[in-house]
Amino acid sequence: MTVDGKYTAIGKYLPRVDGVAKVTGAAKYAGDINMPRMLYADVVRSPYPHAKILKIDTSEAEKLPGVKNVITGDYYAKRGGLYLADKNFLAHKTAKYRGEAVVAVCAETPEIAHEACKIVKVDYEELPAVLSPMDALKPDAPLVHPELETYRVAPIFHPVPGTNISHKHFLKKGDTEAAFKKCDKIVEHEYYVPHVQHCPIETHTATVKFDQSGNLTVWASCQSPYAVRNALSDSFDIPLHKIQIISEFVGGGFGAKAGTTIEGIIIPLAKLNPGRPVKFTYSREEEFRDAYVRQGMLARIKTGVDKTGKILAVENNFYWDGGAYNEYGVNIAKAAGFAGAGPYNIENVTTNSYCLYTNHPVGGPYRGFGMCEIHFCIEQNLDVVAGEIGISPVEIRRINGLRPGDKTGMGEVMQVSGYQPCLETVLKELNYDATPKKVGDHKIRCMGIAAGWKSPSQPTDAGSSSIIRMNEDGTLYVHTSAEEIGQGSNTALTQIAAEVLNVNPSRITLKSGDTNMNPYEWQTVASRTTYCAGNAVKLAAEDLRNKIFNLAQMKFGYPARDMYLERDDENNCTWVVASKYHKNLRADIKTFALGMPLEDGSGIGGPAIGVGTFTLPNNMAYNAADSQSEKGVAFWTIGCTGVEIEIDTQTGHVKVLQMISCFDPGKVINTELYAAQVEGAMIQSLGTALYEAMILKDGKLMNGSFLDYKIPTAYELPERLESYVCEFAEETGPFGARGIGEPAMVPGAPAIANAIANALGTRFDRMPITPDMIMEAINNKNK
Amino acid sequence: MREFEYVAPKTVKEAINILASYKEKATVLAGGTDVVVRLRDEIIDPEFVVDIKHIDELKGIKFDKKEGLFVGALATMHEIQNDKNVKEFYPYYADACGHVGSKQVRNKATSVGNLCTASPLGDSLTPMFCLDAVVVIEGPKGKREVPVREFITFVRKTVLERDELVLGVKMPYVEGLKGIYTKNARRHEVDLSNIVATICKVGDEYRIAYGSVAPTPIRLVKTEEFLKGKSIDDKVIEEAKGILESEIAPISDLRATKEYRVLVSKSILENSLKALN
Amino acid sequence: MKKINVKFTLNGEPIEMEVAPNHTALRVIREELDLTGAKEGCGAGECGACTIIVDGLAVNSCLMLAPELDGKNVLTVEGLAKDGKLTDVQQAFIDHVALQCGYCTPGFIMSTTALLEENKKPTREEIEIALSGNLCRCTGYKRIIEAVEDVVAKRGGR
Repeated sequence: MTVDGKYTAIGKYLPRVDGVAKVTGAAKYAGDINMPRMLYADVVRSPYPHAKILKIDTSEAEKLPGVKNVITGDYYAKRGGLYLADKNFLAHKTAKYRGEAVVAVCAETPEIAHEACKIVKVDYEELPAVLSPMDALKPDAPLVHPELETYRVAPIFHPVPGTNISHKHFLKKGDTEAAFKKCDKIVEHEYYVPHVQHCPIETHTATVKFDQSGNLTVWASCQSPYAVRNALSDSFDIPLHKIQIISEFVGGGFGAKAGTTIEGIIIPLAKLNPGRPVKFTYSREEEFRDAYVRQGMLARIKTGVDKTGKILAVENNFYWDGGAYNEYGVNIAKAAGFAGAGPYNIENVTTNSYCLYTNHPVGGPYRGFGMCEIHFCIEQNLDVVAGEIGISPVEIRRINGLRPGDKTGMGEVMQVSGYQPCLETVLKELNYDATPKKVGDHKIRCMGIAAGWKSPSQPTDAGSSSIIRMNEDGTLYVHTSAEEIGQGSNTALTQIAAEVLNVNPSRITLKSGDTNMNPYEWQTVASRTTYCAGNAVKLAAEDLRNKIFNLAQMKFGYPARDMYLERDDENNCTWVVASKYHKNLRADIKTFALGMPLEDGSGIGGPAIGVGTFTLPNNMAYNAADSQSEKGVAFWTIGCTGVEIEIDTQTGHVKVLQMISCFDPGKVINTELYAAQVEGAMIQSLGTALYEAMILKDGKLMNGSFLDYKIPTAYELPERLESYVCEFAEETGPFGARGIGEPAMVPGAPAIANAIANALGTRFDRMPITPDMIMEAINNKNK
Repeated sequence: MREFEYVAPKTVKEAINILASYKEKATVLAGGTDVVVRLRDEIIDPEFVVDIKHIDELKGIKFDKKEGLFVGALATMHEIQNDKNVKEFYPYYADACGHVGSKQVRNKATSVGNLCTASPLGDSLTPMFCLDAVVVIEGPKGKREVPVREFITFVRKTVLERDELVLGVKMPYVEGLKGIYTKNARRHEVDLSNIVATICKVGDEYRIAYGSVAPTPIRLVKTEEFLKGKSIDDKVIEEAKGILESEIAPISDLRATKEYRVLVSKSILENSLKALN
Repeated sequence: MKKINVKFTLNGEPIEMEVAPNHTALRVIREELDLTGAKEGCGAGECGACTIIVDGLAVNSCLMLAPELDGKNVLTVEGLAKDGKLTDVQQAFIDHVALQCGYCTPGFIMSTTALLEENKKPTREEIEIALSGNLCRCTGYKRIIEAVEDVVAKRGGR
């Protein structure tokens, strides 16, 4: 910041600091690492959705030349998991989904490992399987985890032993039962959201190596190196200081790489081969089925309004198809549980959100963390209710959308809320008009809108830290463990440090992705990085600045109180200036890089290092009985998306012509990176609305490749794709910033669904809304 | 990918000799966009992969009005799509080749490879069916020619013997023939057709070929017969749609339902007939 | 299995080596020649992360067997920048924020480079079609298209 209070780095566009590395191929991702004497792992996978493992015969596989080891679940007997310790890295005694890893092999080449897997003999006894969330709830349903009561669980989660419920989240605000009696109109609907896949273009990959002294190095494509370190330490009883996780560049995460799976599978293999690196990379087919998937969800939503359109009560029941292991999924059910009211001012809310074990692929975090799924239902039900009482989708949102001072479903008072300005911006920029228009003989155009919100779902005391080191020439290293997964954190955090220290960002190198070199970060998830890691970097920069000012007091003979830093790009330096009254009393910041020399030849201060540590302020646990809290989350990011679509009534194809979003991310750190996040999120939501679903039949994934699971291409880019912003500062955010990466995806799919409903007069209660569904609807209408 | 020996003959003779000695142990590699995926997925497990790309005789696209078009076995989708004569005299075939896979795939994949793969939804096949293309084959006993409708016998099955090589496809030139190619898929680009069709008009006759509606691409001969000599109006179109429905037997699969395929097939017929008249 | 001797040009330099027939060109380039710019995203020609330019045309190197490299002129992303100077395509991807995680970026840059050799003045639709064999999950494509259009404009195409 300049002496007259103007930002020098924040709220501007700084080109991505990783741009050159990424356009030249210089960026080394985890899978790009090749080492001499590398071994390759592969796994045998269960062909049944649910089966007891009776016998494993590895003898033939072991005889294959080039095979080093063939190991079974016995090597992985200790259960682990982020919130609920329900998972082994390799199936132990039973296999709980079709595709689960049962035997692990390592060999001199990937081909040998693969051949070995084919000749391992596994005898199974097939068990009855649970193949839908509603089946999971039946009283006589087979149990996916019969030993649930023995599992270690974080205290905020409530598994129900003897059932398939891994967590039941309950929220109650006001008295819905009484309120529904006062409603003029109640609309109750069921919606379904299928499993979808993150589809990072880089599949999961890891290489691990034990050296002879027992140090473990892990090169992984992971979002959260510290969480991986913790999980591996816990599962294999290795002290944390013996584990190094390296993850410099990650080829897309979207939540898929937030956990620990592939790394754990190969650790016992590497342990058996000290000194030799063991590599395991998922094929695209494995990525689809064996990495985390976005959980399927069935929702029953009941919305009650008075005749003016004021929502009096909402009751939600969410049933999550959590798959075989819910160690992470329970937290998604929780997030949906406390966010189920949506961004609306509603006095009476009841939400039951069930995370359920099924014999399906393992559910986990996916951009939006439950919010995309529940808003597909919430935002459609809102349009239905509005229609029933004869008001427009816009009016019902103007009446109910959160305003500052309103209370959320959790009972928190919204200090700021961008809902209404975001809505109005989208309506204006889209020139919103929801009347269907015929174009030619076979096309209909129409618009639709939806809003959404999201908060980080993280432990209320999650921590972040940063260290900033100054080099002798005044250039800086900023160390964090926020993971650059494409979202641009390295660039945004560079800007934050540059702002505090008034240094040209080109004089900063940001270091992340190595637990031995960089300090603690809980996880890179939850759209928390700009806020949490950003605060840590800001604090570290302030610490460094304060230390320099302390030294400079001696040099200048004036107090630190009035000192400031002045960026001088012409001379490629930053000045420490005594005060605005003594502008000529100044020293290049590099003077203090190694401490300050004194007149008698001695020195003081030592090398300049700033330290910043951050824990969420006043983010308190909610009341277990009803999920009410004065400050239950770090912040809420709110926004709105509007679309114009065109339906071809001969083929059922939907083309999105315009897609426009406006969000309130607090203070924007990097203008273009903000827009880039919102644009990418919109297209990802478009994919889920129109194309994407994992088709599961008897637990088998039928379309587990890009051949039959279609994500948007450049051709699907709408003619107009734009983002806008309303900036209402977050009180505790760095420079007022809050998160945007995930919230930006939330309203897109329901906006498209609402536009389709407006165009056809038929509402689809499930996504994706495919050409066959549309043609069936059109055909039924014409009958 | 499992191990195999790689051989790259330089002449057709050499290739046929290799095929004749290895028979079912050999797989022919042309563009490779299908074969390499099948190798990777271990759907095929050959001992020998015979790369025919070094055989100059198989390259190129030839055209004259008397002989028609000859598409060599190594002509890529990219080459066909951009060939001056194809664009001028067989624009619907250029269109078809331009709708196969992605740009990268079209730069490698061959139309003859597409034919030999014999998928019911082969993107470049319906133009061949409309033109009654002739497949030119060479084997140890010499050359033979097979009409395209007889060449493909079922899903991924052809009459090609293990020791034979397709040299190319002859597509006659028909004066005054106009054609329209239509592909419908879940996603506009880089997707498998759930309906693909070429509909041609010459004089007062129609030639109608559909893919993805039966185990092989087919000609809708009854619909063609019905439309012959008729002037096209809404009533005729409606009737033709009914006949079309009786001639096709699409299935429901991951990519579309049977009902959807029928509806879209009818729309394609309607749009094409209107555009051709 | 007999290894095959191949001679080809890689980023302007002659290469002669023995390759295993059942290795793809992608694997050889990445693992034996240590040029890891081209990535494997699917191994089946669906995602385009492995795109390289062979004799002037963009191809999926995951669908090319290593022996097929023989006699070819091969260009990978590492061969674009000369003496530390980025090509206009590379620079445009940075200037337009046309990348996020960067994993698909080398593939997009190779597809774009080949497209603009073939078609100096592509329309927006032609760009979209030419790049639809390259999947990107991060950007939403808008900025990629804009980067390509910017190169076209600056080269005087439009």
